[in-house]
Amino acid sequence: MYYSEDGIINEDLHPLGTGSVWRTSESPVSNQFSEKGLRHRGNESHLETIDLQPMLQGRSLQVWTELQDEDEDKPVKEFCCSMQRKREIRQKQEKLGAKKNNWESWKQDKSRSIQQFQSKASESLQFLVLWRRTINTIGGNFGTGIASYFTFLRFLILMNLVTFLLIGGFIVIPNIVFQELNVNQTSQSSNSNGLCLKYSPNPQGLERYYTFIMDILMGTGFMELTYMFYGFYKNTLVILAEFYYNLPLAYLTTTLFYFLLSLVWIVVRSVKGFKQSLVTENTQLSNYTSKIFVGWDFCIKDPRIVKLKQKSIRYELQMDLEEENMKRKHAERTTSQRATIYTLRVFFNLVVICLTGAAFYCIYLSTVNSQVLLTNSSVKENFILDLVVGYLPSIVITAANFFLPIVFGIIIQWEKYTLSWEIRLTLIRCVFLRLASLGMLLYSLWDKITCSGTPQDAQCVTCGYNIDQYKCWETRVGQEMYKLLIFDFLTVLVVILLVDFPRKMMVDHCSCKPIQFWGQQEFLVPQNVLDIVYGQTVCWIGTFFCPLLPLLNTVKYFIIFYLKRLTLFANCRPADRTFRASSANFFFMLVLLLGLAISWVPVLYSIFSMTPSKACGPFQGQNKIWETVPMTIETLPKTAAEFFMFIGSQAFVVPLFCLCCILMFYLIALASSYGKLVMTLKDQLQMERSRKIFLRQVSY
Amino acid sequence: MGNKQTIFTDEQLDAYQDCTFFTRKEILRLHGRFYELAPNIVPMDYTDDPDVKLPMQLIINMPELVENPFKERIVQSFSEDGEGNLSFNDFVDMFSVMSEMAPRELKAIYAFKIYDFNTDNFICKSDLEKTLNKLTREELEEEEVNLVCEKVIEEADMDGDGKLAFADFENMISKAPDFLSTFHIRI
Repeated sequence: MYYSEDGIINEDLHPLGTGSVWRTSESPVSNQFSEKGLRHRGNESHLETIDLQPMLQGRSLQVWTELQDEDEDKPVKEFCCSMQRKREIRQKQEKLGAKKNNWESWKQDKSRSIQQFQSKASESLQFLVLWRRTINTIGGNFGTGIASYFTFLRFLILMNLVTFLLIGGFIVIPNIVFQELNVNQTSQSSNSNGLCLKYSPNPQGLERYYTFIMDILMGTGFMELTYMFYGFYKNTLVILAEFYYNLPLAYLTTTLFYFLLSLVWIVVRSVKGFKQSLVTENTQLSNYTSKIFVGWDFCIKDPRIVKLKQKSIRYELQMDLEEENMKRKHAERTTSQRATIYTLRVFFNLVVICLTGAAFYCIYLSTVNSQVLLTNSSVKENFILDLVVGYLPSIVITAANFFLPIVFGIIIQWEKYTLSWEIRLTLIRCVFLRLASLGMLLYSLWDKITCSGTPQDAQCVTCGYNIDQYKCWETRVGQEMYKLLIFDFLTVLVVILLVDFPRKMMVDHCSCKPIQFWGQQEFLVPQNVLDIVYGQTVCWIGTFFCPLLPLLNTVKYFIIFYLKRLTLFANCRPADRTFRASSANFFFMLVLLLGLAISWVPVLYSIFSMTPSKACGPFQGQNKIWETVPMTIETLPKTAAEFFMFIGSQAFVVPLFCLCCILMFYLIALASSYGKLVMTLKDQLQMERSRKIFLRQVSY
Repeated sequence: MGNKQTIFTDEQLDAYQDCTFFTRKEILRLHGRFYELAPNIVPMDYTDDPDVKLPMQLIINMPELVENPFKERIVQSFSEDGEGNLSFNDFVDMFSVMSEMAPRELKAIYAFKIYDFNTDNFICKSDLEKTLNKLTREELEEEEVNLVCEKVIEEADMDGDGKLAFADFENMISKAPDFLSTFHIRI
């Protein structure tokens, strides 16, 4: 072979001698060979002075490192050589540095001290990062995929905390302060029909001994008269000398602001993951190489985990080989086999749709009947029955989200997809089920509150919404979200205590076959992430109607972090199929964005299209919640009012929209041209390879 | 800074700080770890640059390395004589390259050295087989090992010579974003 050990072409070893083979190649890619051939023909002794193409020259490790050493601007620490040599290079650099003038050396000194300061600052900031050590331990023991779940959870806790601080600072605390100071608050609510104003959340009649607990669990009674729910806030202005505070405006703008903040934060965080996903878009091309060279986590110290990791790598490789086998078999399927498989798939998809539809119908029924049954006096007698009826929608949603994924998992086996498609499709179905069941709950609430959208209906015509059942409908929606949150938390608690721990105990102490086959609990990252995203979506939807919900969510996630960590270390074994950390982050952010988008729909619809309750809330007496903004703009000085009116008008929005579309198309075109460039380069690489294989064959 | 340590001179610590990714505190801690491995051999006073090398057996029994299937190769790649005997300089170098702050190019160079079992500057099929066996505790069937090695060479080999040169390896590593987080030893 004509490549010697250190990669320099040694012409003496070239079997064809003077490179006559180069003359016949015409394509531009091979020009580099032609040039080399031309150069080689004359001077056999000038091997060292020939400017060899980096691609050929840099193939070997030595030459690569030597090439890098010539780059004098690199810091010494990035050189690949022994410490002794690094010290020599450093001394050489310093001597060269001494020759530079005062300005250069001063600049170098300054940059070095800035670097040191930066490293010290980042070191001290590390202490502020919450749970850094815990997550590192989890990563070391269970792999980076599971650690990324906990990082995601920590991110959500932080976001909820910031949201709560915003709400607390602009909505809750001003209200408390004004209340305490007994400040004169001018009411802005206009007079409405007396019927619509009847709202008394305090229970009439005999108070039972458990009313207090029931009120806390259901958010009714005295809870409706706390800062917890929308209904307690008033539509007032506070004017103190020069201080002016418009409470409804503050409520509205804070809501919009924290939604935007969450969006921006998530997008910024997901850009990193997206970039990485783009780079590894062709995981099919480097599947095995990644598993072998990048698969081993060098941080693992525990021998048990090492064994498990080795088993999981073996399992993954076997699965991959099997998948290749299956793909080959699939390609060899006859037409009749394909037809049967496709009909099977259509059938099973229909089954899935029917099951999901049935679940949605159950959710609708439970929401509607829950409200009706709660007013039934026989239900009110019984504590347990009352609780169950109140939590009926949450129970149905949780049950649907528990049983249907199991059914999906069974069905997908019969649909005969390849392994990776199986996982993807199951995940898509689970995500859809989770988020759509929330949507169904909200739809059924809307249906009841607005009498299916017909304002002429007998019940809705007086006040614009169903006054009989929903005297303060925003609080009611907030209560549903509040109950969902509590029930979700209780479910996590119960599952950990009553399923995970007993399972571990049974596996440890009972050696009968079925239990050993069931095995230890596996920490399934996607399912856990879906749980978290579901909880966060509930929080986002509910925050407008229940301002203290982010605080509850922060506390809930805080406790869940510790619970999950406990169950991970006590009960779980690492998953058989490792979840790659990089694609994991992108997947989490994508689902979270989906949840955010879904949570916007009910809130924005309520703000723009629904009539606010006339008896409660900071927007009572207005026709729409959004009216606050135009009303405020009108009170501004003339130029400012005109400016805002202009921004809201079509004359501004339509050109802006067109501009955004043009920008988007430009970026899409740019991205696709880069993609084409990458494909062309990849093709060129492949061509190079085939050419070399061909040349090698020719030369033998 | 007012540090009263007498293990290194200030210039030595500065040199270490420039030549590795560690701070002064971490270098002193590393010296403590090195000393613990063999308190009889390792001197406490490094101001005159003593030439003390610890044999591979002591290094691979460190808790950070003892369970790593590639521990011998890691230590051998960083030793000057290729046998695995590390001086303190090599020791610090090793953990510096394996730390979080080392750049991808540097880690790729050493990763290539580690996976190159027969040190011929190419990762050939036998190197791949050895790597695979270490990764799976030799529990894969022989023909599965064969298949996987062939697939790896098929995926990564750019010049068709049946083995991976460094450029091929680097090319593959650059496409794997997990590399920085997995090729990392925390000390």
